[in-house]
Amino acid sequence: MANLYVKAVQPPDLNRNTEWFLYPGVWTTYILILFFSWLLVLSIFGCSAGMAWTIVNLAHFLVTYHFFHWKKGTPFGEDQGIYNGLTWWEQIDNGKQLTRNRKFLTVVPVVLYLIASHTTDYQHPMLFLNTLAVIVLVVAKFPNMHKVRIFGINGDT
Amino acid sequence: MITIPYLTALTTYFSYGLLFAFGQFRDFFRKIFDWWGTTNLQGYAPISLDFEDFYTRRLYLRIQDCFGRPISSAPDAWFDVVERYSNDNNKTLKRTEKRIKCLNLGSYNYLGFAAADEYCTPRAIDSLRRFSASTCSPRVDGGTTTVHTELEECVAKFVGKPAAIVTGMGYVTNSSILPVLIGKAWLIISDSLNHNSIVNGARGSGATIRVFQHNTPSHLEKVLREQIAEGQPRTHRPWKKIIVVVEGIYSMEGEICKLPEIVAVCKKYKAYIYLDEAHSIGAVGKTGRGVCELLGVDTADVDIMMGTFTKSFGSCGGYIAGSKELIQYLKYTCPAHLYATSISPPAAEQIISAIKVILGEDGTSRGAQKLARIRQNSNFFRSELQRMGFEVLGDNDSPVMPIMLYNPAKIPAFSRECLKQNVAIVTVAFPATPLLLARARICISASHSREDLIKALEVISQVGDLVGIKYFPAEPKKQQQEKGTIKLE
Repeated sequence: MANLYVKAVQPPDLNRNTEWFLYPGVWTTYILILFFSWLLVLSIFGCSAGMAWTIVNLAHFLVTYHFFHWKKGTPFGEDQGIYNGLTWWEQIDNGKQLTRNRKFLTVVPVVLYLIASHTTDYQHPMLFLNTLAVIVLVVAKFPNMHKVRIFGINGDT
Repeated sequence: MITIPYLTALTTYFSYGLLFAFGQFRDFFRKIFDWWGTTNLQGYAPISLDFEDFYTRRLYLRIQDCFGRPISSAPDAWFDVVERYSNDNNKTLKRTEKRIKCLNLGSYNYLGFAAADEYCTPRAIDSLRRFSASTCSPRVDGGTTTVHTELEECVAKFVGKPAAIVTGMGYVTNSSILPVLIGKAWLIISDSLNHNSIVNGARGSGATIRVFQHNTPSHLEKVLREQIAEGQPRTHRPWKKIIVVVEGIYSMEGEICKLPEIVAVCKKYKAYIYLDEAHSIGAVGKTGRGVCELLGVDTADVDIMMGTFTKSFGSCGGYIAGSKELIQYLKYTCPAHLYATSISPPAAEQIISAIKVILGEDGTSRGAQKLARIRQNSNFFRSELQRMGFEVLGDNDSPVMPIMLYNPAKIPAFSRECLKQNVAIVTVAFPATPLLLARARICISASHSREDLIKALEVISQVGDLVGIKYFPAEPKKQQQEKGTIKLE
């Protein structure tokens, strides 16, 4: 594993906030973080496997909703605030819809939902919470929702 | 093309994720504590949005002692670094009276003119006595002295163009000339890794900007074809003019621009070329005339040549060289010429003397020796580093060599360990470089002797083992000796 090398070509993306997502290894890191957090939840709470997947799914929902679809702008000031009205999801791939990265990020909550609901045997109330999480996340990632602010929530001041 | 070990890429993403998560936690608790406490804002708006300076507050300030180290001597091959300490975990740094003598691997001192030089310094002091330290006015008012006109002729002759204009600051040369030359219906195609001054100048010009993949003439051709076919956005009218902006040596990669291919592509599609030779003028090429000489490109093919005097000439300021009509136009319109104070006369005299030394017009062969020495030093250092197993970027003959670090924790580790052994190295991280690709950048100078370089190599090898950045297998020395003996037989 230590001798496996990947070639990285620097992608022509000027937005430093989103450019890191175009390098090799991001998808694997994302999946590995989810897997290791499942192991962590299992060891901390000592609950059943299904409960742990539900906790991971809901935590994933909160974290990704906050960072991808709520927080706007970039964490540094050098770009002089040209992306201040856009969330991270709207910034990646320069606003182009339905790219490979976007499709991958849309599939991950769905797969998590299937795993969580399967391992809890589709029982309530976990099923309701998981379904809510996946619906909100997938709808937020639709191309039609680009730059849409429902009822002006999180709009520009 | 950078080769990353896969495991390193995964651990780098994970480390940055962890740093980001910790920063967010601390911000969250800070918000709660501040909500309980009183603010002294009194109705004023905050200076920056709370997310905008997140990187500075939570990531950069942690390792702040590795950046911005004050020095207290001229940036020669060996210089004095001021020791600093911090009582509040690097939020503020205080200077002590101690000075550490370190080997300088970070200054852009390519030809060794940064310290006192036997030909240049007496002439610069002479000019200081004659003309005083500043002209105190812009070029058009009272700031053009004989030194300035001599400098512009000297630079034009050196670079190989009919005329040149000189400004007092290197960054300003790009950011004030691009908006003047380029207007609204123009297209700027710039390399994706161009310097911030070019990006700012291009943004200030109001033209449309497109980016092509770094140093890839085939992608440049693809972008050109696409843009010429589409025309201006929305109206689809043809572009008034198209200009391609590239650099001679890219300071973060050490790569030399593929100028002959890019010039061929631009000629085919009738686009102008703007070449920024900040790092390559004076440092590469047989007589130091930059990448055009190194790669055999005729200077008449490059429309606008820009450069700075801060790197190889040991001075300050920048120049633009081009046709006589272009320079005449710039003299009427460029704000750096009309409103900014002209370049200081002793600095200008330093540049003229440095150019004379490089060309051998001072009567000695020191210029040619310096050029040969920097080429030898760069090639020796780079090949030794690669032999030890480091991942070094950049082409042969380029005096800039970044060593890849990748993980964010290795940046301060490498910097501090090297400083402990009296080697001063510049490390560069996000956002100057992409997130994954943090690096330590070494700039070789003609004033480094062979012993200095060998000491630097020992220290870097030791620290590299400690920090774990030898990503490639090292080539053993024994093999080379055996090969040599077999050949002799």
